[in-house]
Amino acid sequence: MTDSSLFDRDARVRRVVESDRDVAALFAVGGVCLLAAFVMFVLDSTMAVVPLVGFVAATGYGWFAHQAETARALTFLGTVSTVVVLGLITVYVFLEAWPVLQLMGVRLFGFTDPITVFGVTLLPGVESYWSTSEHVYSLIPMIWGTFVTTVIATLIAAPLGIAAALFLAEIAPPLVRETVKPAVEILAGIPSIVYGYLGFVTLNTFLFTNLEMANLGSLFLVGLVIGLMALPTVVSVADDALTSVPASMRDGAIAMGCTEWQTMKSITLPAALSGVSAAVLLGIGRAVGETMAATVILGHSQRLPDPLQDVFDNTETLTSLIASQYGNADGLHMNALFTAGVVLFVTVLILSVGARRVEIRMERKLGGGE
Amino acid sequence: MSHTDESALAAERTGTAQRLASAVVGVGLVTFVLSLLSVARILTEETTLLGVGLYDFLALGALAMGVGVVVLGVGSRTGAFETNPDDTPGLVTAALFGVGAFVVAGLVASQTLGLGTLGWFALAAVSFVVALFAVALTPEDIGSTLPAGGVAVGAAALVLGDVLAPGFAWEPVGFSATFTGAMVAPLVLAVATLVASWAAAKAYEGYGSRGRQTGAYLLVGINAVGILTVLAGLLAFIALKGVGPATQGFSLVPFEWPFVTNGYSYQPDIVNGVYPAIVGTVWLVVGAVITGVPVAVAAALFLTEYAEQGRFVGAVEIATNGLWSTPSVVYGLFGYAFLVPRLGGSTSLVSGMLVLGFMLMPLCLITSREAIKAVPDEYRDASAALGVSQWETIRSVVLPAALPGVLTGVILGVGRIAGETAPILLVMAGGLRDDAPDVLGSFEFTSAAPYVANDALLQSAPALPYQLYATITAGVSAENAAEFGWATAFVLLVVVLSFYAIGIASRIYFRRRLNA
Amino acid sequence: MSETKSIDPEMTDEPRTTTTGESDEELRAEWTAYDFEGDPKLSVDGLDVHYGDEQALHDISIEIPERSVTALIGPSGCGKSTFLRCLNRMNDRIRAATVSGDVTFEGRNIYEDDIDLVELRKRVGMVFQSPNPFPKSIRDNIAYGPRKHGDVRTGLLAKLTGRDDAAREEELVEESLKQAALWEEVNDRLDDNALGLSGGQQQRLCIARCLAVDPEVILMDEPASALDPIATAKIEDLIGDLAQEYTVVIVTHNMQQAARISDQTAVFLTGGHLVEYGDTDQVFENPRSQRVEDYITGKFG
Repeated sequence: MTDSSLFDRDARVRRVVESDRDVAALFAVGGVCLLAAFVMFVLDSTMAVVPLVGFVAATGYGWFAHQAETARALTFLGTVSTVVVLGLITVYVFLEAWPVLQLMGVRLFGFTDPITVFGVTLLPGVESYWSTSEHVYSLIPMIWGTFVTTVIATLIAAPLGIAAALFLAEIAPPLVRETVKPAVEILAGIPSIVYGYLGFVTLNTFLFTNLEMANLGSLFLVGLVIGLMALPTVVSVADDALTSVPASMRDGAIAMGCTEWQTMKSITLPAALSGVSAAVLLGIGRAVGETMAATVILGHSQRLPDPLQDVFDNTETLTSLIASQYGNADGLHMNALFTAGVVLFVTVLILSVGARRVEIRMERKLGGGE
Repeated sequence: MSHTDESALAAERTGTAQRLASAVVGVGLVTFVLSLLSVARILTEETTLLGVGLYDFLALGALAMGVGVVVLGVGSRTGAFETNPDDTPGLVTAALFGVGAFVVAGLVASQTLGLGTLGWFALAAVSFVVALFAVALTPEDIGSTLPAGGVAVGAAALVLGDVLAPGFAWEPVGFSATFTGAMVAPLVLAVATLVASWAAAKAYEGYGSRGRQTGAYLLVGINAVGILTVLAGLLAFIALKGVGPATQGFSLVPFEWPFVTNGYSYQPDIVNGVYPAIVGTVWLVVGAVITGVPVAVAAALFLTEYAEQGRFVGAVEIATNGLWSTPSVVYGLFGYAFLVPRLGGSTSLVSGMLVLGFMLMPLCLITSREAIKAVPDEYRDASAALGVSQWETIRSVVLPAALPGVLTGVILGVGRIAGETAPILLVMAGGLRDDAPDVLGSFEFTSAAPYVANDALLQSAPALPYQLYATITAGVSAENAAEFGWATAFVLLVVVLSFYAIGIASRIYFRRRLNA
Repeated sequence: MSETKSIDPEMTDEPRTTTTGESDEELRAEWTAYDFEGDPKLSVDGLDVHYGDEQALHDISIEIPERSVTALIGPSGCGKSTFLRCLNRMNDRIRAATVSGDVTFEGRNIYEDDIDLVELRKRVGMVFQSPNPFPKSIRDNIAYGPRKHGDVRTGLLAKLTGRDDAAREEELVEESLKQAALWEEVNDRLDDNALGLSGGQQQRLCIARCLAVDPEVILMDEPASALDPIATAKIEDLIGDLAQEYTVVIVTHNMQQAARISDQTAVFLTGGHLVEYGDTDQVFENPRSQRVEDYITGKFG
């Protein structure tokens, strides 16, 4: 930027206007090309590649001629694509589920006996829970299976995980903390199929022998394995929440002659409560969506356990239903698997929004303390 | 000023009571660990320790602890030991003992006395209330030691009196499992020793707030050590099972590692390997990084550098969190419905890449955003004050400063997707194979749209996690099948955990550098 | 040349330490000798503090009289806050800190192994530099200490057994808030979150919280540094009142404040040395050390 351009108003205006026109045209071409490519891809046209090349060319030109504007536009495109991907997932999973949602209606959640109150049928019954030949698909056994395994996993991961996080964040000497925290974070990365393999080969047989069970695989074991799997995540996130409580708050209680345990219980843990609950919700979200361990360990029968509370019986979870049946499913049967996906998707989305809400609340609460 | 009733500034910690309490905790830890080993059937009822059968040995330990704990409590009450107890053990302790009483009374009433639901529930509820008030209204020293000692002595008596012998079997109605003595006896003893150790730890510090802290620290510490032991044991177990078969035929000079360099050939005399799966996983990761990372970093840049906080940013945040938490199997369903029909109509490597790329997107977006946010505003201001444009500032100041954080996020994200099975189950599949996908060598130009074709990308390819799943579905009863599985699990674990270890180590390194 | 002169005190002092170290120590002992009537509440003898390899305090000896205000002043990094945190062993919570020497309180060296830290901190309370109320209601903040120490019993169990001290707790809260001159401002909103108070109110709440435990000594670490002039004036008035009943030790970087509120003043200078200690009037009007005079008159620091 030379002095002349700073003071020669006409020249400056001319240049800006020309540049603006150029950029506007570029954006128009690039935008139209990308949109066309996207629409053609969605419509399953192999010609989508032509506008895509156009978009790449426009971007390439833009990068050399108007880098700042192009970069900004590209980052904006990136942002939009995350929203688009979530939109596509929502649309396509619902779209594929639609035929069965329409066919079954509320009977998607129907029991074998209709639920009636004072002679009014609230929920019509289904002949059987899951019959691919008669096209009857009720998700109730799978929802029960997911519910039971999630509850068992949470009962294991939440209290033990929070206690371990307390140990790491508040009690452990610095050296222990600095080695154990990364180790826990690494352990959070063990792939679920590895847990599944262990459960399938070793634990299944162990429980079968020692509890003299009627069958290999049980909701109990799935819950146990998922709980173990979720533990490192819960520990790590809860630890982050605890350490984010300002040290001055702790010092205030300690300087008053409270023991560290009293401080932990009545100051640190309540102050970090939202973050710790978010950790637990995240753990629950993981447990609900966990696929491989359940698929590998369970015996796959789409019926409710008999009696209902028998956690040592087999049934199916929403995730394992999809993973075990997609291979030989087509038509309505495949659409029925997508309904399981819809239920999963919605449940986890609610959990995630809930977790985010409590996190925001915590930030606000602690933010007010400064 | 009333400082007359205050206790001494110094605490007595070397008396008989402290020695007794330490002894009880010591015995407790040993008995607890041995009991857990027996639950896991690593030790069995055939084991003898010091000439005594395992269960009797454990029960004797619990008995000694119970007596010791009672002595600690009574000694404190009679004034033999110098202590500083409150006038109640607290509502939480009382409630926990109440729950214990509820369970024991309920089991005895329903199983031994054979009462109906109403009967046993009433009896159990009464026991709960009685225990709750009995504990809550006694002074802390008696209130926490006598019940704890009672639990330990009771458990010991059940085992020593052969009620909970190895032959014991309980088939609860409505559950398809049988609880045998081999499971129940050590489990009961483990709980009892834990309770008694807690009471002894409280007694060690003379009760009061410090006693409660010591008791709690003991339990919290045992829990932390237990979790780490279980997880480390799990890794060790897989390594133990997997290293042998994974290194079969391994030699350094000349370099030979058949498990890693061979395919799965179904021939008896050749070592089956995971080479195709490793190559497949590498291609998956490369494809996912190419799809997911640029989009994620671009979005992170836009959100932190350009966008104003508002509706749009809020919507993007919700979308990101939604994507982050969407179960992997739902990604698989989406790929099956959207990508597979449009990319050749069958399960394919490129669909797998795209689906994993979509999964990688939110992971990288969140970490990149954190990294870019962590770049101090002073850098931006300094650059802007020199008359540098916003984009130049981002390119030459913000991005380089945020790069380590972004890279760390990518590495951790890659670790996560490299181990994912569920999504590729539906969009890629590809079982046990002998040949690796040859992506680079398969590109060719065609005359019809889309003018470029790559067979390797449009075919399914093997990958490590899916291979492990395929091993399970093929059945592990066949000869060497289980070993092959363990070896695959081991290699997968090494690959995935290496990504995590590198990612976390670099994060720690760069955080330190930032703070220094 | 004039620049050289302004840093002269340090320049001349340092060589003297190395060449004639003996006489320097004697001098310092003379400058820090302070005779007062009655017994000391706290007496410190030969206190050294190291943070890792770095020595933060050198051989500090000082006796603090009962029921008075003792001000610790000095430039940043002179170790005055470190010294304050030694008096209730809050330095134990800092990893790399090692302390040697004697701090005698109630006839016991508080650095002995069997000292009960909980009991010590009950009797030696502390107010921090920036207000740190708990994220609880005003009432709960005040009652926190007494509840935890079992001085007042509340809660479900106490109610069930009829041993509820709610009335006494109410009394204690009122009394503490009045002592901290906060009662008038908050008596109608005791159940509001303490984080909603202004900075000055929060700091007085922290003082009230400390008083509710009924300590003998109150340590204050620059309690007014984060506050505006009006809030500062209120805190200063309050400190004067507290000295009727409590032994107050206050760290401040504000020399006017020290001159206004304290009975005796200890001056720490760079490097962690206690250079002068004595009656506040004497220290400010007629300092015995040249360096202290330079510091007080603003020549350096």
